[in-house]
Amino acid sequence: MPKNAHLVLCVDDEVVGLRVRKILLERAGYEVLTAADGYAGLELFAAQPVEAVVLDYAMPGMHGGEVAKKMRQAKPNVPILLLSAYVGLPEEVSSLVDVYMTKGEGAPALLEKLGNLFSLRGASHLR
Amino acid sequence: MELKRFQRTLRQAMILPVLACLMLAGVLVWQTHESDTTVGLIERSDQRIALARLIETLVVDEETGLRGYQVTSDPRFLQPYNVAEPRMEQAIAQLRSIAGPTETDLLDRFVKEHQTWHQSFAEPLIAMIAAGGRASDDDINLTGRARMDSMRNLLAQVVSISEQRSAERSAEFRRQTRRVLTALVVLAGIIGLVIGLFTRDRLQDVSVAFRRSIELQRSRAEELFQSEQHLRTTLASIGDGVISCDANAKVELMNPIAQELTGWLESQARGRRIEEVFRIVNETTRQPLENPVTKVQRLNRVVGMGNHTVLIRKDGSELSIDDSASPIRNEAGELSGVVMVFRDITMERRTRAALLANEKLAVAGRLAATIAHEIHNPLDSVANLLYLLQHDPEDGEAKHFLDIAQSELARVTQISRAMLSLYRESKAPVPVDLKDMLDDLLLLMEGRFNSLGVSATSDLPSGIVVDGFPAELRQVFTNLITNAAEAAAQGGTVLVRIIPQHASLSPSGQRIEEGAIVEIIDNGPGIPQEVQDHLFQPFFTTKGERGTGLGLWVSQGIIRKHAGIIHLFSNTEGSIRGTTASVFLASKPIMEPGGD
Repeated sequence: MPKNAHLVLCVDDEVVGLRVRKILLERAGYEVLTAADGYAGLELFAAQPVEAVVLDYAMPGMHGGEVAKKMRQAKPNVPILLLSAYVGLPEEVSSLVDVYMTKGEGAPALLEKLGNLFSLRGASHLR
Repeated sequence: MELKRFQRTLRQAMILPVLACLMLAGVLVWQTHESDTTVGLIERSDQRIALARLIETLVVDEETGLRGYQVTSDPRFLQPYNVAEPRMEQAIAQLRSIAGPTETDLLDRFVKEHQTWHQSFAEPLIAMIAAGGRASDDDINLTGRARMDSMRNLLAQVVSISEQRSAERSAEFRRQTRRVLTALVVLAGIIGLVIGLFTRDRLQDVSVAFRRSIELQRSRAEELFQSEQHLRTTLASIGDGVISCDANAKVELMNPIAQELTGWLESQARGRRIEEVFRIVNETTRQPLENPVTKVQRLNRVVGMGNHTVLIRKDGSELSIDDSASPIRNEAGELSGVVMVFRDITMERRTRAALLANEKLAVAGRLAATIAHEIHNPLDSVANLLYLLQHDPEDGEAKHFLDIAQSELARVTQISRAMLSLYRESKAPVPVDLKDMLDDLLLLMEGRFNSLGVSATSDLPSGIVVDGFPAELRQVFTNLITNAAEAAAQGGTVLVRIIPQHASLSPSGQRIEEGAIVEIIDNGPGIPQEVQDHLFQPFFTTKGERGTGLGLWVSQGIIRKHAGIIHLFSNTEGSIRGTTASVFLASKPIMEPGGD
């Protein structure tokens, strides 16, 4: 595992899905933190130097939109990728996040979009 | 004018002329009597004149006789004198009996004069002559002559007075006659006028009454006509078919809608038996149904509408109808006819079917998002696992990944199967395991509960089976569970449980069938009383744009079709607040085909 690996936070109430995603992202060279709901996610987000968030939408207690809003208030520069099983989320939710994609688009799509987030960040840093 | 008054008027009109004539007759009789008296008086005057003249003649006779005797001394010449004497007395007596006071006075003087003449002239003269003496003394003669003249003068006065009286009375009689005539003419005129006026007045009364009664008749006829027109127009403009029959169930009248619906013209149908014009059969069994008119005749009361009635029109085409019939009774309360009202409910049925289909789709739509979520989650895991397997898995990892993928796929299969069974329609009731069905539904809706932040618990004993249409029952429970979850909202709870029911008698003595009660209990805010009253009405919703307002209405229809009972109990107060939806389903229900 490379030393300069990015730290990614995954929030999802689907236990199996979260576990598989963690393995997938670790194989792709990321360092991964997981949370089973929005509250746990926000705690980790505040405590750890998270560089990107992969966020599920439908979760008990607090849905992805609310979680994203709170994260933006805390650290506005951390990119958020909203991952949802639903299609057609409200505009006010999708406009909050950097990337919005539906579950089932496949692992390559997820890795590509997550990678893009970092390269864009990097590019903007260089400028 | 009533008959009594009319008769009184007639009597009055007859009696008045009779009375008037009687009065006239009375006047005539009285006047005739008066005339008679006057005529009697005139006659008496004439009699007096005649008697006075007779007395005068007798006096002349006496004098003549006396003179003859005086000249001749022949006693034969004295005969007129002798004869005159008694006659004169008689005549004087007669005249006295009828003389007035003046005449009596004159007569007395005449009698005295005559006596004087008689005693102091005639008798002595006769005696002297009889004694042979001569009686030619002028003095004596002159005295006798003077007496005689006086007597004549008196008699002449009597005659004159009587004549004057007679003339006065004649004049009086004429005056009287004229008066009577005038009085009669005037009286006749007055009576004529009175009779005329009175009769006119009475006749006017009668004619006014007559005119009034004619006008009344006319206005009644007009009213009757108007009212009949009104009824005819009402009948013609009524949106339902109306057929009226006589007591023998023969068609008498059909309104335009009835003609349109049956395909029979009123002119063709009139007089025919109702069964011929209005042929109805049961929608499903195709068995002829008892005609409402015959049914009314049999039961003699209003007959309501039967479900699933098909009217076979004259051309053989068919219409779904609702019908009802009422008896028409005469004043004695006997059945004099039957009126039947019916309407085409084909469109209504189609609309209802469309609404039901719409609601079914709405339920599907409501679940679609949940189902997509439920399927996408495991699919996402499987896709990720496949990617990991493709890219050099570590030792032993591959098997682990495959196991996870398999269990995730099993989840997808289960969900898709549950979803399919929600829409699969069976033709006849089949045994439905309530636990299986409710478990399936809870699985499908897990995501929905999660996203709403509601925790669901269940108490579902296994092995409870009822006969029913599974797709429809799923629709009902999906509705009820969704409602409960939405009411419970964030942090709330929903409990789904089955309470088996054994055949028994309720405390009120009603038979309770064997079956089960499914309860869906939420701890939401409860339903206010004013909302509860409308819950089962179509298009009533508290969910705004998200609801169709058909869910509970359709659910009630489905449960009724299953001969079940659906109830909502709700409380908005404090710790016991929340809503319980309770559905009783019998194990072996007698299906009511009309329930949907």
